[in-house]
Amino acid sequence: MKKITLILMLLLSNLLFSQGKIFPFKINKVVLENGLTVLSVPFDSPGIIAYYTVVRAGSRNEVEPGKTGFAHFFEHMMFRGTEKYPEQVYNDILKRLGADFNAFTSADWTAYHIVASSDALETIIDIESDRFMNLKYTEEQFKTEAGAILGEYNKSASSPFLALYEKLQDLAFTTHTYKHTTIGFLKDILDMPNQYDYSLQFFDRYYRPENCAIVVVGDFDQKKLIDLIKKYYGKWKRGNFKPEIPVEPPQTEEKVGHIAWKGKTLPYLMIGYRIPEFSTKNVDRAAIDFVSELLFSRTAPLYQKLVIEKQWVDFIQGDAPDRRDPFLFIIMTRIKREDLIDSVKSEIFKAIEELKVKPVSKERLEQVKSYMRYSFAMSLDNPNSVAYIVGNYFQLTGDPESVNELYSLYEKVTPQDIMRAVQKYFTKENRTIVTLTEEKK
Amino acid sequence: MMITSILAFARNSEIRVKELYSPNYPIVTFRVMIETGSMNDPKGKEGLNALTILMLAQGGTKELTYKEIQERLYPLAARINYQFDKEVSVIIGEVHRDHVDKFYKIFSDLILNPRFDEQDFKRNKDLLLNYIRATIRSGNDEELGKQALVWFIYENHPYHSPEFGTVQGLSNITLEDVKNFYKKYFTQGNIVFGIAGSYPKSLVGKIKKDFAKLPKGKPESVQLPEPEKVNGLEFLLIEKETRSTAISFGFPIAINRSHKDFYALMVANSYFGEHRTFNGILMQKIRGQRGLNYGNYSYIEHFVQDGGSTFPVPNIPRRQQYFSVWIRPVENKNRHFVLRQAIRELEILVKNGLSKEDFESTREFLLNYSKLWVQTLNRRLGYMMDSDWYGIEYFIDKVQKELRNLTVEDVNNAIKKYLNFENIKIVAVTKDAQSYMQDLISNKPSPITYVSPVSQSILDEDKIIQEYKLNARAENFKIIPVDEVFEK
Repeated sequence: MKKITLILMLLLSNLLFSQGKIFPFKINKVVLENGLTVLSVPFDSPGIIAYYTVVRAGSRNEVEPGKTGFAHFFEHMMFRGTEKYPEQVYNDILKRLGADFNAFTSADWTAYHIVASSDALETIIDIESDRFMNLKYTEEQFKTEAGAILGEYNKSASSPFLALYEKLQDLAFTTHTYKHTTIGFLKDILDMPNQYDYSLQFFDRYYRPENCAIVVVGDFDQKKLIDLIKKYYGKWKRGNFKPEIPVEPPQTEEKVGHIAWKGKTLPYLMIGYRIPEFSTKNVDRAAIDFVSELLFSRTAPLYQKLVIEKQWVDFIQGDAPDRRDPFLFIIMTRIKREDLIDSVKSEIFKAIEELKVKPVSKERLEQVKSYMRYSFAMSLDNPNSVAYIVGNYFQLTGDPESVNELYSLYEKVTPQDIMRAVQKYFTKENRTIVTLTEEKK
Repeated sequence: MMITSILAFARNSEIRVKELYSPNYPIVTFRVMIETGSMNDPKGKEGLNALTILMLAQGGTKELTYKEIQERLYPLAARINYQFDKEVSVIIGEVHRDHVDKFYKIFSDLILNPRFDEQDFKRNKDLLLNYIRATIRSGNDEELGKQALVWFIYENHPYHSPEFGTVQGLSNITLEDVKNFYKKYFTQGNIVFGIAGSYPKSLVGKIKKDFAKLPKGKPESVQLPEPEKVNGLEFLLIEKETRSTAISFGFPIAINRSHKDFYALMVANSYFGEHRTFNGILMQKIRGQRGLNYGNYSYIEHFVQDGGSTFPVPNIPRRQQYFSVWIRPVENKNRHFVLRQAIRELEILVKNGLSKEDFESTREFLLNYSKLWVQTLNRRLGYMMDSDWYGIEYFIDKVQKELRNLTVEDVNNAIKKYLNFENIKIVAVTKDAQSYMQDLISNKPSPITYVSPVSQSILDEDKIIQEYKLNARAENFKIIPVDEVFEK
């Protein structure tokens, strides 16, 4: 019976993997003379397009002391307008179009995204190219926006999650900019109103064509798209700034931190293991993505034990965010009682140790691969998600086809690869532990 | 005649299936809507509906334990989600079309042959209790404020009980209660089965046949009295150690999507505070011009954001709706000013309405924007089911039709008829609630300062705002510690 299931699954996996590619759509790639990359994917969404501008800069680029949170702050400033389209005009245009638009910043990239009617293509290209080339804001506007950033920090500060990530990253890194979260240290946020000049420099450095991509997904005409992009973005001048991101030395000993939380809370436990950067070549890194499934998916024995059988925690998760530089495999759980923290911790360690000595069965490995493939396939259900995926793999490697390379690499991962990767990276000296509990009065 | 009516009766009692077939779409979605919500929770057992839904969506079947189900679904990357609200609840399944038969068997069994396991019961109850105690009370002031506003608006009303229950209510519920609740409300007439995507056509007949196993008929619907009248400004201050103040306020309104005026009010609301956009007056004035917080929005129906998108989840229809304003956390020192400013803006809206220009641009926005609400089949199906529930044509089409026929007078009349700035329930999650109350009652000026010069017109307006009189009377305040919110 089991064999039949396995064969069936292999057959299905072939269906999903036509010509060895997980991403089922063709990605058109055009690079303009000034270095701007244009990535476009026709997608069956009649009358709708998703339009992303991807900037390969995030909180990772905040190399100078006192400037944490700047990439995110800058994302806000991008909505403050130009001479041709001042803030209110820009907003009014998008309002008339009924567009859904916003932006986000993470450690490695910043993205400006719009979903709108296909008819709006030229208008969007016009206003987007204009602000990326001619952004203009006053010092007063800059200072006012700093208040909104503080508000954003405050809205997140009521949750223990922000505090946990801040502590974990601060402890785990000594020199690399992953030491701070994307929103930045509170002290730097409070000082933001004084950083107007630096903001101009930030724009000058990173908002340059060779550092960006335009991603268009949905219902559009390719030739018209490229003509319009050339017309509007053609004069955008290349830059030449290369950030020197400090290299983090290897971790040599376990680090431990604790947060005493004002106010009621259940205890939280967070564990970070130092791991290599995103790669489509490094099989160790691919194997680490399997650890996330083998330990923390709903069918994982550890998850079953802690959440379903013993019911010591109400959630547990663990995964390795894709990052351009070495980052962390992060495990987080919320524990139902304080006296259970040590037991939960030791169950997690026990499960990790088991992965080091006991090869995962072929059947289990096949299930995980099937999950990863289908999970990806199901995420491609609208133009916005497709554009996000294309943008994300572009920012990671400079080439969106890396998504296909990654999933091909996953197919090659063996039980031995997983054992080896866990032995190498999930060690005591490579980890940082943070706990959060209610402050004792 | 006789025969026809019997047939009609039989048809009425059988399960309704809503189909949205799309041969090229690789994902198949099921949305099973049960017409039961927290308003059906018995007194003292608040949370029974939520717990019952969880026992189906996150439990086992007679054949398979919860763990075995997880194991079967995992390689398919199939998902089972759930929503529970005041009036209806939904269990949602999504699967790649390669696995639709295998998935349907498990999914339908969860609803038709639930396991009701004691261990699953304990886990799901903890989940709801921890949601109240740890997630919203201690980890999310904004959500706490919004939920508490609904709780406060619907005192002595079937909508009072929170969708997720109360601490005491949940603690009182036994597994036997869940089984009885299931028996009473999971009947053929009480369920709509929505299906979308590239499913095999034969599946529809199978669904009808399988769900015919449920008891026939439909339990009596809960009668809804009018919500209590709001008298002046009524305050609920939630005392909590926090570095900023989250504010929500609002009042019941007498219309929902089935009423013509709803569409006029939709334009007014979008102009005033469209969710997560920069279009609204509130957003522009509080955040854009003054940088006092991260965002400010308004609503004319209950709104739950769909994940990271800016659109509402479908399938939370309600017969009675409320108007609300969501002020994202502000610095404690500015809490008095911002409340004054928001209510003053509401006064200006009520008194002046929209200009013809604002009306035109907002209508144009909504005509385009509303088309984006249904980017996936899953969402489209949800909106179709909601439209049936309200007894209207497909909502997205109705928005197009109604908005095109509107005039600015229609909008401004609707504002006058349904909105007001004097009788409002206000919730704030804040520290030193007592001093906030004193400030509000005293109506003393609440000037603010800026880190950089702002324009004279803003400073002039600030002078008016900082003295704006709020009719806050001591007898209209309730201050409760955060631990008492949703306790019973």
